[in-house]
Amino acid sequence: MADGSEQTMFLDPAIRDWVLFPITVIMVLVGVFRHQLTILMTGEPPKPEPKDIRQGKALMRGQILAQNNAYIPSAAFQQRKQYLCAAYEEGAYLKNKASKEQSAANLMTDPKNMEVMMDGMKKQMMGIVPQTLIMGWIQFFFSGFILIKLPFPLGVRFKQMLQSGIMTGNMDVRWVSSLSWYFINLFGLRGVFSLLLGGENAADGTRDMTAMSTMGAMGQQPGQPQDFNKQFLSMKDNLAIVYHEWDLENVEQRVLVKYGKQPRLFKSARK
Amino acid sequence: MSSLALLAEIRQSSERRPYAVLKLAEPLLNHGEISSTSEDTWLVYEQVLLAALDEGQQTLADSLLGLLRTRFPTSHRVQRLEGLVKEAMGNPDDARALYNTVVSADPTNVLVLKRIIALLIAQDKPSLAIKELVAYLDTHGNDFEAWIQLSHLYLDHHMYRQAAFCLEEVILQQPANHYFHLCYAEICYTMGSLDLALKEYLRVVELATDNVRGFYGVKLTADRLIELRAAGAAKSRRDAQLPFSLDAVPQLPVLEKLSQLATERLVATYSANNAASTPTKALEDWLKQ
Repeated sequence: MADGSEQTMFLDPAIRDWVLFPITVIMVLVGVFRHQLTILMTGEPPKPEPKDIRQGKALMRGQILAQNNAYIPSAAFQQRKQYLCAAYEEGAYLKNKASKEQSAANLMTDPKNMEVMMDGMKKQMMGIVPQTLIMGWIQFFFSGFILIKLPFPLGVRFKQMLQSGIMTGNMDVRWVSSLSWYFINLFGLRGVFSLLLGGENAADGTRDMTAMSTMGAMGQQPGQPQDFNKQFLSMKDNLAIVYHEWDLENVEQRVLVKYGKQPRLFKSARK
Repeated sequence: MSSLALLAEIRQSSERRPYAVLKLAEPLLNHGEISSTSEDTWLVYEQVLLAALDEGQQTLADSLLGLLRTRFPTSHRVQRLEGLVKEAMGNPDDARALYNTVVSADPTNVLVLKRIIALLIAQDKPSLAIKELVAYLDTHGNDFEAWIQLSHLYLDHHMYRQAAFCLEEVILQQPANHYFHLCYAEICYTMGSLDLALKEYLRVVELATDNVRGFYGVKLTADRLIELRAAGAAKSRRDAQLPFSLDAVPQLPVLEKLSQLATERLVATYSANNAASTPTKALEDWLKQ
């Protein structure tokens, strides 16, 4: 083995045939399998009930009112603001008013929400388990030898991670073990999967990783039911502080300027 | 373009062109071409069924309905079509019973809910229709077309305040559409809220340059307000049953300028299309096209 900037090693072609391709093929197959299984498991998305729709749309009404309040006259706005604030306050739009005082813990026992959460967790399982299995399998069978040479150089720190089974002092970091080939495949097969399975597929390994990291960051269970009561109350506060400035207050001036009957006045000179 | 492609285009644009659809589909249905082509088949059947109902071709509609029911026996979508056929044949009660079963099975089926309301309107039962429509809007408050339909129902009964409320909801959801401002302005004018009417008409001509209806509205309201201002100075409170206060109205010079502007723009618009200075001439030009 030459010691120097350019280390050249001759790898057994059998490694290529029996490790490189099989790992890729297995990962593709497992990915497709996962995708189909996820479709089977999730089935149809749960259909919203009218009460849920009503809740959601009531919230939207508040949002639209807050957003577009300038386009309706002041009286109309005040009327709607008062009505919506009162309705939000007393929970007229809530799915089940009795649960208004419940804490988040009680919300979880709602059977429908349980289903949603279980679905979310099942999906996560589908993501994590195959990844772990494949990693373990690779570690078990394919450790202790070099698989590929990376076409780009890396820092020394990666040596520990990418050459995990091989204890050598000064082998170039570019020679890596099969585990790193697994990682390369994990990120790279996304393109292949989108070709095979269409854009939105469940076979994407990176998706699971980001899901795991966001879950940790948010500290919230996936699929937690939204607390509408809180949202209604915060929307009520938003509405309460909206200052209504009617867009049509000086529309006469604007129209006269538009049709050239009046020169455009600067803001300071506005009547 | 092939007939199928044209039919698909008409479906996409959601225009209602029953005669065209029937003409295009006739050869396809008669020569059995349609049954061989895979994906579009059932969509075309549905489209032709609706066109046949529009054109009053009962037998064709019945046969297509039979085909659809055989293929999709438990489909809500087909049941709605069945209800439509029943309505066309003059059995509104059967149709209503059918729609009720669909709604009880699936309370979120918006199309059938709206069909019930349309049926009530067609049966000339406006108060029931209003009741159903209000219940629908309680859940689906963001359906601005439903709000427009409700305002039409109210206007038929001269319930202007309620119609104005509906239009305000529509404007909240579609603030940039000048047509809704126009409808709102006309309701306000009819109600007598001339200050609001003027502002809304002005908004219309701001959003849509030279909108003729808008300018007519500006002219009428501005002139009326000028009269009222002139009269209000003279008369005491005799005539002041106005639903608005004259203080909310712009000053007299502004009103006069607006009225003048409206006149100018209207004259310009009508004489702009070179020809028609008289109605006869306009008719001749149009006939020559």
